[in-house]
This record gives sequence, structure tokens and C-alpha cells, in this order.
Amino acid sequence: MRDLAFGLTTTVAGMGVTLVTLFLLTLLIRLLNRLFRPDEEKSAKT
Amino acid sequence: MWETVLSSLAQGFTHLTWQSALLMALGGVLLYLAVARGIEPLLLVPIGFGVILGNLPLGNLAASDTGGVINVIYNAGILTEIFPALIFVGLGAMIDFGPMLANPTVLIFGAAGQFGIFLTLLLGLQFFTRAQASSIAVIGAMDGPTAIYVTSRFARELLPAVSIAAYSYMSLVPVLQPPIMRALTTKKERAIVMPYGEKKVSKKVKVLFPVVAGVLMMLIAPMGAPLMGMLMLGNFLKESGVVGRLADVSSTVLINIVTLLLGLSIGAAMLGGNFLQVTTLAVFGLGLVAICLDTVTGVLIGKLMCAVTRGRINPLVGAAGTSAFPMSARVVQKEGQKANPRSFLLWHAIGANTGGQIGSVMAASVLLAILSNTPLAG
Repeated sequence: MRDLAFGLTTTVAGMGVTLVTLFLLTLLIRLLNRLFRPDEEKSAKT
Repeated sequence: MWETVLSSLAQGFTHLTWQSALLMALGGVLLYLAVARGIEPLLLVPIGFGVILGNLPLGNLAASDTGGVINVIYNAGILTEIFPALIFVGLGAMIDFGPMLANPTVLIFGAAGQFGIFLTLLLGLQFFTRAQASSIAVIGAMDGPTAIYVTSRFARELLPAVSIAAYSYMSLVPVLQPPIMRALTTKKERAIVMPYGEKKVSKKVKVLFPVVAGVLMMLIAPMGAPLMGMLMLGNFLKESGVVGRLADVSSTVLINIVTLLLGLSIGAAMLGGNFLQVTTLAVFGLGLVAICLDTVTGVLIGKLMCAVTRGRINPLVGAAGTSAFPMSARVVQKEGQKANPRSFLLWHAIGANTGGQIGSVMAASVLLAILSNTPLAG
């Protein structure tokens, strides 16, 4: 297969970075959701 | 005297080549598809008209005609990569990250939908250079602006073919995805009901997300910052609630004007001499492979998640982890309801779909970073 090393490196790096980033995002979203709950906003308004 | 007059009047006809005539006919077909069949008219009308204008002999309207009107637009918007970035401002102002913020687990599907890009890259490397194969593979992102962004930077000679393929296949998502989804899942799996409860998300989370998440992603993959930054800017305009006029303009006027100019100049870059080649067919073929592989891997990861969660996740949602927003999510909803009329997957699929939008920019950013630091010839 031609240029297999480049293809495989790019695939592993590309999918790895994408997966890790999205995983970090899920953690970030969970943290934000924990810090700012919608119920608190409601009670603050009333 | 009369001879001079007649010959100058006939110049247009005498300079018309069969290749230009064929491309003008193709432009006509694109206009027909847009007007009579209603297929992606916002894109196909400017592209189709651009093809006709660009192939008119002596019209000075091809994207490559130095100093011509469309050449100026092409140089200013495509070669500088400004158009894709501006489109992302509009997309950001249109996207609602709410479903994804309420159920962040579906974000993982946004990565599953990018496998097609890299598997197609491996295939493309057998026929093309690294830069060309990478540009073609990004068609698998199912994201026109991202494909144009990467291609305009590394393989400009393929720009017309890649952009037409990317936008055509995006519009074909409702046709391409369902057979693959049905082939890879059982009816029992497709009928799984995922609990539908529109979880509330704090307004503060919606406002903070584009800033905090945007900075995090741009630090991880700075090469994609022009796209990610603009996407998050557009979303912040919408969610902040203090610049309603800017959000409205971005999601309507701005994105429409840029789409018109982008389509026109891409169309005018499709010239008989450079478009009617075997390479173009190969680009379309590999683009199709990329999009099908995205769906395959998305559904397979969905099946894996289904097994891990003991049947709580419908594998069809995995097919929505692409950037074809919101077409993929709609297809998932439709297929889910075909298998089980009580099933309502749209909320989850929209979350996966927005994850796909982010995942595609991340995947493209990594490609850009690698290509910028390696010899391009391959």
C-alpha cells in the first residue's frame, strides 16, 4: 500500500485527537451543568 | 467593414469548445435540479449559473480570468479562505447546542462520524498525493465549508470537484444513509425507544459553552481556529441574547450572501478543460465512499454503545454523528419511527449531529496540522 505510514499516522492522530477532544467536551459540559443548574436560575428570578 | 462586424459578432460562437458547451449543459442540469426538483436550491442555483457564466467564451467570467468580476470574488473569498469562515459565523448563529448540552454523551457520536474521512484518506493515498487525498477525504466531513477550507489551502486544483461533491452528497444524505442504517441494524435495534425528556439547560451554560469550549478546542487544534472560532462566535451572538440583530443578520443575510458568492465563484471555477477529467470522477467516487463509511462507522459505534448500555441507546443515533446538519438527524428520526412509531429520536440525533459539526472541524484541524508539517507530495 502506498504511503501507508502517513495514512495510518494521520488516522490514529486524527481520530485520537477528535475522540479525546469530544470526551473532554463532555466532561466540560457536565461540569458547567453542575455549576449552573436551571432550577437555580428560576428560583433566583422568583 | 461588414466582415469585421460579423466576425466580431460571431466570436462567441467560434470560440465555443465542446467541453465548454458540455459544462454549460451541466450548469443547466444543476439549475433544473434546483428549480424543478427543489434539490439544495440555495447552493445549486448560484453554482449552476456560475458554471454557465464561467464557460462562456470571451466573457471574462471564469474564476481564473484575471481581473474579471468572478475572479475578484474568487480571489477575495475562496483563496483567502474568508467565505468558509463567514459561513461558519452563520452556522453558529443557526445551531442550537441545547440538545447536546442536555445530553453530552451523544457527543461521542460526533467522533464516530469522522472515521470515514480517515479511511478514505488511506484509500485516496493510493491514487493521489497526500494533500489531494486529504482534501478529498474531508468530503466525508459532510461539511461543504470545511471541505472548501482544507482544499483551498492544499489542493486548489481539486477545489471545484471537491466542493461540488461535498455539497451534492450532503443533499443526498436522505437517500444515502437509510439503506446503510437498515443493513447494519436489526428491526429490534431500530425500534429501541430512548427516553425523551427535554432536559433543561441553564442559560449560563449556553452562553459560556461557545467561549469556554471554543477556547479549549482552539488550543488543542489551532489550525482549525478560523472555522471553530467563527462557529463559536456565531453561537455566542445567538445565545448571549444581547446582540439579536447581529445574530439575525449572521443567520440570514450574511450566510445567504456568502453562499451566493461562494456558489457563483465555485461554479465559475468548473471549466471544461480542467473539470472533464478522470480525476473529477475519482474525487466523486472517493467522496461517496467517505460519506458511506461515515454512516457505517457511526452506526457500528451506535451498536457498540447499545451493547455497553444494555440496549438503552438506539444505534441509529450514531448515523447522525456527521456534519450534515440537520439532515442526518431527520433521517434518524424518520428511520426510528418507521421501526417503532412510538420512538422519538430527534432530540438525541440533533445532539449527535451538533457533535458531528464540532467533530468534523476537529478532524479537519488535525489534517491541516499534519499536512502543514509534512512534505505534501507523498
